[in-house]
Amino acid sequence: MADALLMDRMFQRIMRGLVDTGRAPQYAELARALGVGIEQGRLLLHDVMRAYPIGWLHPETDYIASFPPLNNLPTQYRVTVRGEQRWFAQCGFEATSATWLFPGETVRVDAPCLDCGDPVTVEMRDGRIAWVDPPGVVGHLNYGFGPSRGRPPFL
Amino acid sequence: MNLFRSEEHARRWPAFQARSEEGFIGLAELAGFFATESRHHMLDADYLSTWYPRRAEERRAYLERIGKTSPFWLGTPDPGTA
Repeated sequence: MADALLMDRMFQRIMRGLVDTGRAPQYAELARALGVGIEQGRLLLHDVMRAYPIGWLHPETDYIASFPPLNNLPTQYRVTVRGEQRWFAQCGFEATSATWLFPGETVRVDAPCLDCGDPVTVEMRDGRIAWVDPPGVVGHLNYGFGPSRGRPPFL
Repeated sequence: MNLFRSEEHARRWPAFQARSEEGFIGLAELAGFFATESRHHMLDADYLSTWYPRRAEERRAYLERIGKTSPFWLGTPDPGTA
């Protein structure tokens, strides 16, 4: 396992990269940014993902698929900040956490309802719900947390 | 873990699991669940080493505070299956 400081630095680079650009950096980019070799960067990425198991790499690759609260792979949870829809949330629950990545900004989440396809919209600012449409929007956990939860890519 | 227009919409979802009838959470409670202290530090330089390890305990405490104490929510084994 890599040292904690290096893992922290990589974690922050990934999260900051997602926030700034809407996509997660690739391990070679991360390696360069951290001043380590490419292969060390790749191994370090795997260490970071093991330490942050609520995210995941695309199976059998070194590509970041999910790094909650955001997702590198598009989901139905589209996140808009300052009028730009660059981001995706990992899931509907994590979507309510994206607000903490954009302090002082209104963060809008748009998703189609999986039953009818009609829109679900939530706007948050610094953790507070600013707008909800329709007013009856609910969160739903289809599999329990822990051992009974589904496989991560199918949350 | 999804957002639906209402509970009825969720129940009509073809993938809805019968067990998940207890899986509903109001939006305000959900926002609170994802607003525990560690979440405020996701951009900090020491998030992974310092803040992320606190997340599980925070989540459990929050769920207990809002009365979601079943194995389904807490991720603990179901009675009789442990």
